[in-house]
Amino acid sequence: MMAERSSVFPFKEALAYCTRSIRVRFLRVLMIMISIVLGVAFMVWLLTWSHLVSVLGVSVGKEVQAYGLWVALLSLIICGIGIVNSTLMAVYERYGEIGTLKCLGAIDSHILKIFVLESFLLGLIGGVIGAFAGWGIAVLWCGMMAGFPPELEAATIQTLVYVGEAIAIAVLLAVAASAYPAYRAAKLNPADALRKVV
Amino acid sequence: MSAPTPAPASERYAYVVETENLKKYYFMGSVVIKALDGVNVYVKRGEYVSIMGPSGSGKTTFFNMIGGLDSPTEGKVYIDNVDIAKLDAYELAWLRCRKIGYIFQTFNLIPVLTALENVELPMIFAGVKKEDRLKKAEALLRRVGLGDRLHHKPTELSGGQQQRVAIARALANDPVIVLADEPTGNLDLHTGLDIINLLRELNRERNTTIITATHDLKMIDISDRIIYIRDGRVRRIETRAEIKVSYVV
Repeated sequence: MMAERSSVFPFKEALAYCTRSIRVRFLRVLMIMISIVLGVAFMVWLLTWSHLVSVLGVSVGKEVQAYGLWVALLSLIICGIGIVNSTLMAVYERYGEIGTLKCLGAIDSHILKIFVLESFLLGLIGGVIGAFAGWGIAVLWCGMMAGFPPELEAATIQTLVYVGEAIAIAVLLAVAASAYPAYRAAKLNPADALRKVV
Repeated sequence: MSAPTPAPASERYAYVVETENLKKYYFMGSVVIKALDGVNVYVKRGEYVSIMGPSGSGKTTFFNMIGGLDSPTEGKVYIDNVDIAKLDAYELAWLRCRKIGYIFQTFNLIPVLTALENVELPMIFAGVKKEDRLKKAEALLRRVGLGDRLHHKPTELSGGQQQRVAIARALANDPVIVLADEPTGNLDLHTGLDIINLLRELNRERNTTIITATHDLKMIDISDRIIYIRDGRVRRIETRAEIKVSYVV
């Protein structure tokens, strides 16, 4: 009967919608991003620093290294919890928007697409900023301690892989942490979503 | 006066909305709240129908049922002769996108988008191309009198202007039905009148069926039929002729 009839939400449009959302809500979004930036910066700093000091032969205790890794892990977990909470809040505030979008023809997966894409972008931007910040600090600090020897350049390029890893982790973390709140939001029926508007 | 019986099958294709023994009960522990308790209503194509009743009468619940925004506890809703309970999520979304336009008391515009983009949104879901969308959105906004406010965000528009954008948006995909839930609820007397007149003009121009849930008495003058609801049931149905007669006397 009406089997082939469905509504669409092309990727280009979804992306435009999400970037506009982020741009307008920038200050709120900044809170989520700062936690990503700090968590990622710390992790990249730690990995880069440990690699550089071992290459350049600057002495640093083994215990510091192991302890540092735990702290980095912990900071990422806390960061993740923060993202879950912020996303829950953000999604709740946008229940009216979700209800309206469903009235205009959005299906559950379109709503999910919007929130996942927004988290992806936040993870990407926060990850890039945090990773390069942490990397930059580690390289400069280590370089200053060792007096900028020529081996530094090669070792620095090797550490860029940590930057890549960290960005990937930031994106994964942001998307995973917001997945459940986004899923719950997508499943709302329009009447309930609109009712919850204050 | 009880609800009149619907016409024979041959005439029923003129019905764009029909409900059959519609019930919506909310179960809160041991208490049952009967928001709708057996509503039988039919609406013809091109009619302007007002659903009138006090707060808590079931108007908004009825609006949600016929708009496919919520499902009934019992009974059926037919939109263009299709039982909407039989539609899957995709088809329901298609229905909301193409066949029905919604107008709310609180306007419900997307705050981060401009007026033009708000009107474009339903067309995006309908898969319309960018150039066509823009042209149509602009034309609709001009029709409702906002040609010089295309790029304003909702926060930069007055209540009446926001409702006009909402009306333009509701018409974006040329729907068969426009459902309005208290469209003048958040507007002052004068602005409310403008909106009501605009809706009436559009109803005439496009032969779009308009169903309004309201307790605004200004709607009485322009409605083809008024369905009075109280405590989840239809109490009275008045047609235009009847209203005129009662006022003359």
